[in-house]
Amino acid sequence: MTLLLQAVADGLQMGLLYALVAVGLAIIWGLMEMINFAHGEFMMLGMFGAWGLSVSLGWDPLVSMVPIAVLMYGGGVLVYRLLMQRVQRGEVFTQIFATVGLLFFVQNGVVALFTSDYRFVEKSFLTGLSGANITLGGLRIGVPLLVGGLIALALFLILYLLIDRTDFGLALQATAEDRDAAMLVGIRPQRMYAVAWGLGTALVAIAGVILANFFSVYPQAGLSFTVLAYAIVALGGFGSILGTLLAALVVGVVQSVTAAYLPPAFKDAFVFASYILIGLFRPQGLFGRF
Amino acid sequence: MAASSPPGRAGRARSLIWAAAVLVALLYPIPFERSGYIYYETVGFLVLLNAMLGIGWNIIGGWAGQFDFGPSIFLAIGAYTAALLSIHLGVNAWLALLGAVVVSVGLCVALTYPVTRLRGHYFAIATVAMWMIAQPIGATWPFINGSQGLFIPVAPGGSFVHGMLTMEFPGRGKGLGFYYLSLLLFVITLLGARAVERSKLGFYFRAVRDDQDGAEAIGIDSRLYKVIARCLMAAIFAAGGTLYGFWALAVFPDQVLEVNWNILPMMAAVVGGLGRLWGPALGAIILIPISQVMTATLGAGPLAGRGIDLIIYGAVIMLIAGWRPNGLLSLPWAEWAARFRGRAPAQPVKG
Amino acid sequence: MAALLRVERCTKRFGGLVANRDVSLTIEAREIVGLIGPNGAGKTTLFNCISGALHPDAGRIALNGTDISRARPERVCHLGIARTWQVVRSFGRMTVLENVICGALQRTNRMGPARTRALELLDFTGLAGKEDVVAAALTLADKKRLEITRALATSPSLLLLDEAMSGLTPLETTAAVELVRRIHHGLGLAICVVEHVMEVVMPLSHRVVVLDHGEKLTEGPPAEVARDERVITAYLGDRYRGRA
Repeated sequence: MTLLLQAVADGLQMGLLYALVAVGLAIIWGLMEMINFAHGEFMMLGMFGAWGLSVSLGWDPLVSMVPIAVLMYGGGVLVYRLLMQRVQRGEVFTQIFATVGLLFFVQNGVVALFTSDYRFVEKSFLTGLSGANITLGGLRIGVPLLVGGLIALALFLILYLLIDRTDFGLALQATAEDRDAAMLVGIRPQRMYAVAWGLGTALVAIAGVILANFFSVYPQAGLSFTVLAYAIVALGGFGSILGTLLAALVVGVVQSVTAAYLPPAFKDAFVFASYILIGLFRPQGLFGRF
Repeated sequence: MAASSPPGRAGRARSLIWAAAVLVALLYPIPFERSGYIYYETVGFLVLLNAMLGIGWNIIGGWAGQFDFGPSIFLAIGAYTAALLSIHLGVNAWLALLGAVVVSVGLCVALTYPVTRLRGHYFAIATVAMWMIAQPIGATWPFINGSQGLFIPVAPGGSFVHGMLTMEFPGRGKGLGFYYLSLLLFVITLLGARAVERSKLGFYFRAVRDDQDGAEAIGIDSRLYKVIARCLMAAIFAAGGTLYGFWALAVFPDQVLEVNWNILPMMAAVVGGLGRLWGPALGAIILIPISQVMTATLGAGPLAGRGIDLIIYGAVIMLIAGWRPNGLLSLPWAEWAARFRGRAPAQPVKG
Repeated sequence: MAALLRVERCTKRFGGLVANRDVSLTIEAREIVGLIGPNGAGKTTLFNCISGALHPDAGRIALNGTDISRARPERVCHLGIARTWQVVRSFGRMTVLENVICGALQRTNRMGPARTRALELLDFTGLAGKEDVVAAALTLADKKRLEITRALATSPSLLLLDEAMSGLTPLETTAAVELVRRIHHGLGLAICVVEHVMEVVMPLSHRVVVLDHGEKLTEGPPAEVARDERVITAYLGDRYRGRA
């Protein structure tokens, strides 16, 4: 029983990080009904960024998080302007294709530059905390992961406030709901889309920076996170920000519990299987309203 | 649509090209066999194998318009079924191929029906999810020996003809044999696909692709036809998997589920003209040699590993997508051919 | 009373909006029924419920006695209802002939007979000569004609036309009306027409049903309905009441 509760506790913390991974996708989806096969690659770039700056300049990932986020925001906007803007008006097939091409390009670009070897962030604030635990009623909560999760939660909430309480967020929602009407009131949809891409990319890169403290860094890390993010967005009801958070927590727990009882190779299998089943039984997601 | 040969010079030119292509295909490996450069026979084998798989992918991706990013699971199912039948029951390779196809199609029905309600991106991601679930299963399932793999026994001796009948070439002649085996399977696949294209199935697939709701309104069960399309692909991939298994004489999970089996057939179909019957063949002829050349020249250097060709594929895909967002379905070979011949491209008439 | 189509108290909600509330109507074989009402009255929603694109939240829809309330669209077509769409649809990348063949394949599995039937229908609806044109390249009027031809190829007993005249020039509209008459005469189907253009729907229909805000307001012969106070109010507002 303790094993189960421990797994749940661990899963919830991971879930907070997953929420950050998925929320960018949720914004892009909710806004443009466009999903990015290369989403996980940007996370991977964040990981590599954190590792690279740590190894070459000795910067702590919590510090390099900022310049990486800014850089990746710019990258996301660039991807939108150069590629996605063109394919947005085309068939869905082409949209899928375009981001698949991006996936190959980015992932293998990194392979070419860095090889597929596994890398690690050796020294950082969070890894330094490794070993420190909080005990809560028989459950052991690792401090590093907790801190990481709380940072993710804080960012998530900032984003939620941005979308829900600011004029800018209102403009984003307006564009998502009715593009033409938004244009009539002076909102420029292309600008909104570009910002959404920038934000989504920056957020997932930040998630990567944080995750680099806990996981090995290698070029192929992205794809399973992409599928995970899709599963979360689908479970969370497509574009609902809070729904994404809740769904991410659920996924984190499912994954953690699976890992506790089955061989580690299967830890994602349940999540992926549930994505497939969601499509069958509840297409609007666990928390979607329709 | 049945294209009747245009009369006169164009018609004769077309027949000549046909004849030449057939001759090249039949005679291609002979000079290499003579000179001992078996490697080029293998390249031919890979071209034909990927062309065949590309035709399979074209059915679900090009005709039915459903993006399948994890078709390798059916290649793996085919390879493993054939290997198991051969190892445990001593079944002849061709019968094993049949068995592989049957099992693959059966599993395809079970796996695809639940996800037919998903559209576009969601269907695509579901196929990726299936592929990702397959990997740990392949690596740990004792029945198929997990990551240790299965080895296909080959009886010693045997003539070339015997080899063609059993897919076993213990001595020389393996490169040659598998070239002709793959040519045979490719031709069978091509003819089968052509028959499907002109049949009710072909029409219905394209209807589902062009307008799923409109298709349902004229009586097309879109779920059923998506399943059928994917099953046709699964059958072809299973056959390809069998061929590959007997060629490699071993089936390892990380090899048969390798990402290239997901990518190359699709790339071949896209580059050669998505949806066109001959597209995948054209695409394979272009892509495989490029990939081989890159492996050869970048061989053991610091850029070794298949990263570079995928970078290029990625760039190519992005360029094509950005350049023709509404026309990915048919790179305008027909238009270009018309321009090349000095005529203005025809009005949008089927061509 | 063997009505071809019987809709009983069809109700359909979208969140808080009640698009159809307790709508009942019948359509007899070989009838032309006009379905009119101001924008937002729920006409297309009703069509969607009948054709299976949507399922009613309450009520029952039956075709020749068979309950089709929860049937999938392909089954509804198989049972004999064909429809066209408010925003015209076609298989854009296929030719005109191929589009119609798809429809004809509903009733036969063989390409030969399907092709023959398709060619006959294209001739009947006036698209002869355009068989090899890619559907996406057609004019709007021709696209609508194609959509109708394709629907006819499924051999329906009831044809639902959703604003088939919208976006057409007066000349094209006249041709379209003539086509509907020809279809009715030549093929003997029941037709239900959703239309905004009064000059079109009134002369064409045997009977008219009026929807307003999701409910059936009234029904009857066109002349009566046109004089009905409530109908005039619904369309034009209170200021025009009493000016019939």
